[in-house]
Amino acid sequence: MLLNFDRLGGWKWILLGITGLTSAFLILPIVFIAALSFGSSQWLIFPPPGWTLKWYAMFFADPRWLEAAGTSFYIAAIVTVLSVLIGLVASFGLVHGRFIGKEGLRALFLTPMILPVVVLAVALYAFFLRIGLNGTVTGFVIAHLVVALPFSILSITNALEGFDKSIEDAAVLCGASPLEAKLRITLPSISHGLFSAAVFSFLTSWDEVVLAIFMASPTLQTLPVKIWATLRQDLTPVIAAASTLLIVVTIALMLLVALLRKGLKS
Amino acid sequence: MVLLTERDSPPPAARLRLVRPMNFALTVPALLLLVVFFILPVLSLLLRSVMEPEPGLGNYAALLGSTTYLKIFLNTFVVSALVTVVTLAIGFPVAWALAIMPSRLSSIVFAILLLSMWTNLLTRTYAWMVLLQRTGVINKTLMGLGLISEPLPLVNNLTGVTIGMTYIMLPFIILPLYGVIRKIDPAILQAAALCGATRWQALTRVLIPLAAPGMVSGALMVFVMSLGYFVTPALLGGTANMMLAELIAQFVQSLVNWGMGGAAALVLLVVTLTLYAIQLRLFGTARMEGR
Repeated sequence: MLLNFDRLGGWKWILLGITGLTSAFLILPIVFIAALSFGSSQWLIFPPPGWTLKWYAMFFADPRWLEAAGTSFYIAAIVTVLSVLIGLVASFGLVHGRFIGKEGLRALFLTPMILPVVVLAVALYAFFLRIGLNGTVTGFVIAHLVVALPFSILSITNALEGFDKSIEDAAVLCGASPLEAKLRITLPSISHGLFSAAVFSFLTSWDEVVLAIFMASPTLQTLPVKIWATLRQDLTPVIAAASTLLIVVTIALMLLVALLRKGLKS
Repeated sequence: MVLLTERDSPPPAARLRLVRPMNFALTVPALLLLVVFFILPVLSLLLRSVMEPEPGLGNYAALLGSTTYLKIFLNTFVVSALVTVVTLAIGFPVAWALAIMPSRLSSIVFAILLLSMWTNLLTRTYAWMVLLQRTGVINKTLMGLGLISEPLPLVNNLTGVTIGMTYIMLPFIILPLYGVIRKIDPAILQAAALCGATRWQALTRVLIPLAAPGMVSGALMVFVMSLGYFVTPALLGGTANMMLAELIAQFVQSLVNWGMGGAAALVLLVVTLTLYAIQLRLFGTARMEGR
C-alpha cells in the first residue's frame, strides 16, 4: 500500500507535508532574492520599506558588471562550440570505433566530473603561471572546457547509442559518401543529444566559479567572479539584481529545453 | 531501386569497412585536452608536494602532524557527514512522495528541483547569506514571534554551512532516489500488506531495504561532493570551521606554499577517489558532479 498514493491514509499527508516544506525551502530563497532586488533597503530588510529599480540602474550603469557579463557570455559561447565539436568527434570514436581500452578511455573522459574542482583549479593555475595563460580568455576557455567536455561526451554518446548505426550504413550502401551519411542522417538523428550537450556546456561555463576565481585577473573576470569579489566586501542589493538577471536567464533556458523536448516528442 | 547481385558488388562488410575507419584517432583531440590540461597539471601539483621546498615527505608530516590541519580534516568530514544525513532524511520522503503522487503535483515539484539546481551557485549562496544574517528575515521572524530575544548566530558557523550545503545537495539525492523507488514493484508492498504487515513494518522491512542501494549510492555521492566543496563553505562558514578545499586554496593563493597545497590536494584526491571506487564497486555506475 505504501506505493499507492490513494491508499496511504494519514501517511499521505505527512509525505505531502514534507514535500511541500522541502519545495518551499528550495524555491523561497530564489523568490526572496528576486523580491529584494526591487526593494529599496540598502540593508536588504524584508519586507522592503519601498520598491525601486535603482539596483538595476546601478548594475547597468557600472561598466564592470556589464563587462563581466559580456566576458562570461563570450567565454561560455566559445566553450559550448568547442565542447560540442570535440565531444561529438570523440563520441563517434567511443561508440562506433573498435579498439582496445575503449571502456577505460570512456571512464577517463568522465573523471573531471568527479575530481574536486578546487584541485583542478590549483593545478591549472600553477601550469598557467608557467605558460602565461592566467588572466586570458584562452586560459578561461581551456579550464572550462576541461569540466564541460564530460557533460558533452555523456550526452552525445547516450544519443549515439540510441541511434541505429545500420541506418547510416544503409545510406552509404545507397550511394551516400560516409561523410554525407554522417551529416545528413546521423547528425539530425542525434540532434537532441547535441542540444543537451550544448546547454550543459554553456551552463557549466556560465555558472562556473572556482576555476574562474583562479583564472581571473583584475582586467578579465567573469560574472561569477565579479559577484564573488563583491560578496566578500558586502551584501549590496546590486548582487540581488545581478542574481535575478541570472535567474531569468536560467528560467529562459529551462523553458527552451522543455519546449524543444515537447517538440521532439510530438 | 536497383537490385545488386552478389557478383555485382563487393559484400557489404567489405564496403562498410570504408565507413568505419573512425576509431581511436577520433578521441585524440579530447584525449590531448585531458592529458595536457588535466592529468599532467594535477600530477605535477602532486609531485610538488614531495619536491618543495625540499624532496621528501616533510609536507605530509607537517600536514598530518599539526592539530590545526587535523581539525580542518575533521571539520570537513563532520560537515560532509552532517549534510549527507540531513539530505538523506529529507530526501527519502520527498523522493518517495514524488514517485507516487499524481503527475500534476509531481511536475511542479520537479520544476522547483530543476530551477533550484540550475540557479547559479553563488546566487543561492548569496540568498542564504542574506536570509541567515543577524538582521535577516529568519532572525527577524523568530524574534517577531517571540521565540528568541537575541538574534541567533546562523551564519559564519557550522549551522550556516550545513543549511547552505543541504540546500545545494538535496536535488542530488532526491533525483536518483526517485528513480530507485519508481522501479520498485508496488505489488511487493501489496503482498506485504496482504501478509499482515503493518504500515510501519512494510516501511522498515520492505520499502527501505528495497530503496537502500539507492540511498547508499546517493549518500556516497553527496558525501564525496561535499568533501571537495569550496564556494559555499567559504561564504557561509567561519574561520573556525574551514574545510579542506578552502585550505588548499589558501595554501596556494595567500601563502604561496605549493608543497603544502599539493599535499592537501593529494589527501582530498585520495579520499575522493577511494570513495568513488567503492561506489563503482558497489553499484557499477557513478553519477557525480563536482563544483
